[in-house]
Amino acid sequence: MSLFKGLMDYLDVRLGVRDLIRQNLTGYLVPRRANFFYTLGAVLLALFSLQFVTGLLLLIHYRPDAANAFASVQSIMNDVPYGWLVRYAHVVGSNIIVIALLLHMLSVLFMASYKKPRELTWLVGFIAFNLALALCLTGYLLPWSQLSYWATTVATDAAGAIPVVGEMTVRFLRGGAMVGEATLGRFFALHVMGLPLLLGAVIGLHLFLMRRAGISRPPFGPDYEPPAPLTTFRHEDHPDGIPFFPHYVTKDLAGVFFFLAALAWVIFFAPVLFIPPTALEPADPFVTPPHIKPEWYFLWAYQTLKIFPSKVVGLGAQGVFMTLLAVLPFLDIGPERRPAHRPLFVACYSLGILLMVALSIWGHYS
Amino acid sequence: MANDSLPPNQRRFFLTIVLGGISAVLSVAAGWPVFRFLSPASGGGEVKPVEMPRAKIDVGGAQFFTYHGSPAVVLQKSAGEFVAFSAVCTHLGCIVKWIPDKEEFLCPCHAGRFSTDGAVLGGPPPKPLKSIPVVLAGDLLRIG
Amino acid sequence: MKKYSAALILPILLLLIPIIAPSFAAAAEETVCLQCHGGQTGHLGEPVPLWRESVHQANGISCHHCHGGDPTDFAMAMRPERGFIGVPADNDIPAFCGRCHVGVLEDYQASAHGRALGSGGPQCVTCHDNHRVLRASIDLINPQDCSRCHDYGRAEELRQAVSGTDALITGLENDLAELHRLGFDTKPMSGTVFSLRNDFHRLFHSVDVEKVRSKTAVFAQDLDKVEKEVAAIQSDLGKRKLWGGAMVVLLVLAGLYALLIHKSYQEETGED
Ligand code: HEM
Ligand code: FES
Repeated sequence: MSLFKGLMDYLDVRLGVRDLIRQNLTGYLVPRRANFFYTLGAVLLALFSLQFVTGLLLLIHYRPDAANAFASVQSIMNDVPYGWLVRYAHVVGSNIIVIALLLHMLSVLFMASYKKPRELTWLVGFIAFNLALALCLTGYLLPWSQLSYWATTVATDAAGAIPVVGEMTVRFLRGGAMVGEATLGRFFALHVMGLPLLLGAVIGLHLFLMRRAGISRPPFGPDYEPPAPLTTFRHEDHPDGIPFFPHYVTKDLAGVFFFLAALAWVIFFAPVLFIPPTALEPADPFVTPPHIKPEWYFLWAYQTLKIFPSKVVGLGAQGVFMTLLAVLPFLDIGPERRPAHRPLFVACYSLGILLMVALSIWGHYS
Repeated sequence: MANDSLPPNQRRFFLTIVLGGISAVLSVAAGWPVFRFLSPASGGGEVKPVEMPRAKIDVGGAQFFTYHGSPAVVLQKSAGEFVAFSAVCTHLGCIVKWIPDKEEFLCPCHAGRFSTDGAVLGGPPPKPLKSIPVVLAGDLLRIG
Repeated sequence: MKKYSAALILPILLLLIPIIAPSFAAAAEETVCLQCHGGQTGHLGEPVPLWRESVHQANGISCHHCHGGDPTDFAMAMRPERGFIGVPADNDIPAFCGRCHVGVLEDYQASAHGRALGSGGPQCVTCHDNHRVLRASIDLINPQDCSRCHDYGRAEELRQAVSGTDALITGLENDLAELHRLGFDTKPMSGTVFSLRNDFHRLFHSVDVEKVRSKTAVFAQDLDKVEKEVAAIQSDLGKRKLWGGAMVVLLVLAGLYALLIHKSYQEETGED
């Protein structure tokens, strides 16, 4: 113990660690009634870290060129010791991350935590969400399977519907007229370098904003009252709250363990849940396989494009929807956060979720 | 539920130890695959000889090749007399060169010199070059 | 505020472009043969729906691959100068099919069936059907079909002789398909089994029970090698599940213990 104390003294003199610990861990009080959804942020941090590690390991054996990409993934799955585990963890992990992101977003929406003073936290979070999806999309191409190839062809093709610059955009995204070596090159660079760096920075900003404003109090319970609108900056304190460490962290930890358990369950017992059969055939630019569908979290967008009479309108509808979501805190500006007092919002919220689920199911079976 | 009668801090002590134990097991279970993933591929245990047509080596000439993942060299000292060595210098691991005029190996890093028998002729190398057995079977050299 | 939100829209719209999944055009290419005959009624239209269920269709073998002609040109599609052959006479059918199925043709021609061609002996489509050519299976040897020409006794003997090996092959094929689905590189093994299957099918087209019996052991030996490899992978998979199950249980336990620790803090601070 005296060794530990000595180390702490050493660091304390130089960095003021005891002060840091008090401010950020033991003396940092978070809302007493933070529910399970409040652990999703920590879950996401853990999952992204795992994704980073498995991605790094895959990079050792992956070959980013059209001639070798498929075979290198095949060899990771078959020849490299525990390569299958690393790859499955990365593939399944990406899907679990999307689930966690959606839950995090939906809970923030339901509790209206995006409202003043947290508009920027929301906006930056939304950008992180889009970056995460872009990571999924670019990663999808890398195994250079039939699924990779054609899903990417179709996804990039959608940009062609944009008036005037559509054609140019498609060529630019692909680095050529068709998906090919050039597309693989740029998607690879984005997937392993560009997007992770960007996402890392964006997550950092998100955490900074979250910490600066303070965690919001859940808008539930008889004694909850919407606070008076802020006119100057004020960190939201919770004098009656619980210490972040060790009290609250144990709950975050539980959330992380449960998500990891779900991840492990899929890896060992349903590994192909997110891997359709077309992902097992090498890419063939001359044969389009039937029934190419995007990943489940893009199905709603896929179906939207199909039901609108023209692609431009479909694209426009998606754009409007995503933009509305992004700027929601700037439109929905009343101080009220209690769901029971926001019937219109809750109605839209529920119908919106139902619509998305319905569109996705429709897209899956159409 | 005998636990319930314990005060929370004692119970917590016990719970924390169990959680620590489980976490330790989980870390090992996660670490082992990573260790195996990163471990160099084992060469399958048995040592396989390298085969090479004898025509590839002139009399008084040398031919470099890869032997079990590291550079090696085979030399035809005189017609029909072959010797082979690891080409890794025993000093600090540079790859030796064959100097036909002098009929010796020279390490370019610190001028270590080796004879056609692998023995040290001069310079810092502490030990002779490691020799590899060569068998001549018809027109084929079997090295190793 | 308004000005700001407008400024935000553009970058976000741009961000979205790459993530949008668009409509997938059904691009299955239809030849002119299918376009015309598909719409016809009567015996000229009959082959199309039959062929759609066939093993040929599943492997991308279309009308023109057998009947010749030009599948891209309405006007010239059925001209002999574009290689159109049309319908073979009954006795020409073995040669017609044998252009691709060369091995089977050889053994068939040497067999009692083949030698009787032209004098009541069966040719390919007698047993395999013409346009609805199904994946060959041992069920083609059955009392109804064989006794159209001769009594079933000898055929039954042949069926007995091939059924063991046939079941072995079919079983292995299913196992391999399953492993392939799980991401295993089964190509070398599938290749071996496919080639053995071909040889075996050749063999029993000789309809020579003695010959089949005498060669069965050789097939069994080769198949056994693949079977051992498959069994090794399957046992590996079993082990993965065992370890994986333990991991899942431990993770859930860890989560529960973390919650229990959390609860102990709650009790201390009198939280509800
Ligand atoms: C990219 C991955 C993300 C990570 C790693 C992340 C992480 C976190 C963390 C650790 C917290 C604090 C704990 C909590 O309330 O859960 C938080 C809060 C928050 N997040 Fe995220 N987040 C991510 C994405 C998003 C997205 C996509 C949105 C919405 C579009 C979002 C909106 C918010 C908001 C508004 C808060 C404040 C909640 C409050 O104070 O009650 N975040 N985030
Ligand atoms: S390494 Fe060869 S002489 Fe130093």
